[in-house]
Amino acid sequence: MRIDYNIKDKFDFGLFLPALFLFGFGLLAIYSSTVNNTFAQENFQRQLVWGIIAFIVFFITYSLPTNFFKSMAVPAYLVSIILLLAVLVMGKQISGSKSWLMFGAIGFQPSEIAKVATIMAIAAFLSRNNSNIDSFKDILITLAIGFTPVLLILLEPDMGTALVFVVVILIMFFWKGISSFSLFVVLSPGFIAVAAIFGTAYFIIALLFVIGMLFIFKRNLFFSASIFGVGLSSGFFAEFVYHALSPHQQKRIQSFLDPNADPLGSGYNTIQAKVAIGSGGLFGKGFLEGNQTQLQFIPEQWTDFAYCVIGEEFGFIGSIIVIIIFLTLFLRILKLSYNTKDEFLSLVSIGILSVYLIHFIINLGMVVGILPVIGIPLPFISYGGSSLLVSMFMLGILANLYRTRKNYT
Amino acid sequence: MKTEKFGSLKRRTIIYGVIISTVIVLSGRLFQMQILNRIEYDKKSTDNSIKSVELQPLRGIFYDRNYKVLVSNNPAYTLRITPAYYDTSLNKILESVLGTETGYIKSRLQKNKIYSKFLPVKIRKGVDFSVVAWFEENSEHLPGVDYIVEMQRYYPAGVIGSHTFGYTKEISPEQLSREKELYKPGDYVGHNGIEKTYEKLICGIKGYSYVLVDSKQRRIGQYLDGREDVFPKKGNDLVLSFEVGAQRIAEEEFQDKRGALVAIEPATGEILAMVSAPDYDLNRFAFFTPKNFLDSVYSDPLSPLFNRATMSVHPPGSTFKMLAAIAALDMGIINTSWTVTCTGGFTYGRYFKCHGSHGTVNVVSAIEKSCNTFFYKLIYKIGLDNWKEYATKFGFGNVTGIDLTEEVPGLIPDENYYIKRYGDNWPKSIMASLGIGQGEVSVTPLQLAQYVSLIANDGKTKTPHVVKGYIDWKTENYIALDYKEINTGVSQDALDIVKEGMFLVVNGHGTATRIRLPDVEICGKTGTAQNPHGKDHAWFVGFAPYENPKIAIAVLVENVGFGSTYAAPIAQKVIQAYLESFKGEKINTKTDIAELKIQ
Repeated sequence: MRIDYNIKDKFDFGLFLPALFLFGFGLLAIYSSTVNNTFAQENFQRQLVWGIIAFIVFFITYSLPTNFFKSMAVPAYLVSIILLLAVLVMGKQISGSKSWLMFGAIGFQPSEIAKVATIMAIAAFLSRNNSNIDSFKDILITLAIGFTPVLLILLEPDMGTALVFVVVILIMFFWKGISSFSLFVVLSPGFIAVAAIFGTAYFIIALLFVIGMLFIFKRNLFFSASIFGVGLSSGFFAEFVYHALSPHQQKRIQSFLDPNADPLGSGYNTIQAKVAIGSGGLFGKGFLEGNQTQLQFIPEQWTDFAYCVIGEEFGFIGSIIVIIIFLTLFLRILKLSYNTKDEFLSLVSIGILSVYLIHFIINLGMVVGILPVIGIPLPFISYGGSSLLVSMFMLGILANLYRTRKNYT
Repeated sequence: MKTEKFGSLKRRTIIYGVIISTVIVLSGRLFQMQILNRIEYDKKSTDNSIKSVELQPLRGIFYDRNYKVLVSNNPAYTLRITPAYYDTSLNKILESVLGTETGYIKSRLQKNKIYSKFLPVKIRKGVDFSVVAWFEENSEHLPGVDYIVEMQRYYPAGVIGSHTFGYTKEISPEQLSREKELYKPGDYVGHNGIEKTYEKLICGIKGYSYVLVDSKQRRIGQYLDGREDVFPKKGNDLVLSFEVGAQRIAEEEFQDKRGALVAIEPATGEILAMVSAPDYDLNRFAFFTPKNFLDSVYSDPLSPLFNRATMSVHPPGSTFKMLAAIAALDMGIINTSWTVTCTGGFTYGRYFKCHGSHGTVNVVSAIEKSCNTFFYKLIYKIGLDNWKEYATKFGFGNVTGIDLTEEVPGLIPDENYYIKRYGDNWPKSIMASLGIGQGEVSVTPLQLAQYVSLIANDGKTKTPHVVKGYIDWKTENYIALDYKEINTGVSQDALDIVKEGMFLVVNGHGTATRIRLPDVEICGKTGTAQNPHGKDHAWFVGFAPYENPKIAIAVLVENVGFGSTYAAPIAQKVIQAYLESFKGEKINTKTDIAELKIQ
């Protein structure tokens, strides 16, 4: 084999440059939305410092021996579960969710760490030599690994992050090669549970739908009946839990499922976000010239709504450039996942892709008003140290994987 | 083991498809919003936005020691312009309505160019109601112009107190960059006096109200019915040590004079009255301050902005004789039986004159008659450095640490000082003048008042101050401020002997018998500060009553001549006015209000 000393062989600019550009766009958006805000003026500098730390973390992760990730999968997972428990006991409540652990003035969200740890734990489990993804046992254990953090995060409650986990688990199942029937088995109880919370009519429709699907798959009667039984009981269980919650928590779930229920709260932000982006036009109003942004009508715009600053001040062209950068990053990671022959690394890679992707879809969908308001940040762009650090750490894993990819072919 | 299905091309293609279709949907949505529906959103953006309106907190008010209001707030209108929406062709009309010179608005806007154009610029404070009425009628044609009601200082007690109270001024860009979390451009902050020292206690915390405004910047409602509004927090009210009656009399007495007066409660260091004359009208600074007024104040040769009570230094003259007496008595160099025979002067190298022939005098009668000869002799017995040590014990040569920003330390010379000035063989004859408080010794009126306080109160007092404490805005409780104890450690006997001399100055055959009162035993000492540039300055220091002194005072009248003629009567009137405040129901009023506040 010819040894290529070209730097491009060791370092994937296709991963690194998009992240750098996105971070740059984020800084512009954060600067613009905080420059006139006395209470948030330091956020720009803070993000810059976090950025530097995050890029250092990236390079450290990049240089680690690749087999390190697999060996730390289980310990990391256990630690993150402990942190998630700790946050429930002594976490700090910020905007309704008890999701922050504070160390002096510095706080972080254990759920961010849990994302990576859970991906690695599932990847480690599914890449066992004798694993069979369509076996009842493997599905159940994977779900147990995945849903332990989900449950803890739901208790914070942080619906958005919990949703990210669910999607990531499903995509990893899918990548591993789950059959469509098994996928259906995994999905149906959750589907019925969500429908049950919406109301009795939805509950019944969902049950009928599951019965219909069971007929299509034509498995043996006992198995079909037990799937139906699990679905039915999960529906009742969801309803029981829902009614056991305090009215305040119920309201949070309602507004999550139906944002129109609270038009003055989160609905108001969506309207203003849409106005900001729409009024940006083709070229935008210019940096620091967006009146929607400068008049600070979206509270904490530099976090989950940072993309509207780009939409308003850099217009359609700026918004599309950001989307295209994301697109190149996603396709790059997908290619990497596909080409990596080691199952563990390939699963980790696809898990990371799904984290980025689901954040991207939910955040942009929310900002442009086609998805309900679910407060999760846009990777690399939104203000926030934990999110940026973990995003860059995950990117470091991918870059590492690229560096040593030839060892696994 | 890798299964066939693992990461298969088919599964890759499906994920690929999901990514591409997401991007297509989002791009399509952006195209629809930003290209197709742009005009609609644009209109909404200008029509419907939320503005945060600052709610100014009430600045803490000042009470005198008996809870009479000295400094308070009055509503006034302030006209503002938000440059982002403003049309500069309106300058002319606005300037004529406001009655300002041409180019005024332009220069105001120019000055604020460094800040965001979305921040309103305060164009003029204290505008007439007729201007507001005109604005209301024409607001539709005046985009970017608005007015707010702000609180302005006013002074209801009829006392001026200009140098003590101080005034507020628009914040400077330098201070703003240091304290940007507290202030915004256009805010007024304490510029001098109490307003500056206690700025953080009295400034309060701003509030915000969120309102929806349309494209013409008209208010169309409150955002979220005001649920997000933050109410301003009022500043703390200050309780000053001033007594309004004494202060008023002191200011009246100085109407046509130049000089300073400081009156202190000896036991506590609380300043009861303080005047620096000429003074200036704080009302002129509370509202819009015309440039020509400022120019005239700054260029006035009498320098009214200069606080003579803490900043002017003069030789203390004969008021310093007590210091030499205390030093000698406390060191045990002399006692009351030590005498000097005054034949009208004293020779040491040259002849030093006394203002009469006092015959045989001891320390008490020397103070009573202000005999120079006695003190010329005494200073040589004490020695220069011992004398300086006592002067330092009584606070001379150092700033007192009063809670006002501007103060000077004055000068007490010692051996080194003279060696530096005149060389190793400096003429010892210079020392003679120091004994009578002349020559190269200089003090401030405040220092002299503190010195008399120490004599009156057994050598103990506290750092002089004008603010006793404050009333917490939240709990309404009175919170006293702590001040440092000062203790000279001088023997009681020495002080008693000197006090006796001071008693006789007024009540015996001394130099200030004219201010004797039938019902109050005033003790004091006159003095004359030699002035090489013109007529001498008159000093008087004193305290009253003799037993349990309640007030100590120092008075300086510039360029008038001898102390007992000019300075002493002023001191007498202020002492009388202050002691008056203890009589009859006034004492009851004081306790009543004090109790009310504490509940």
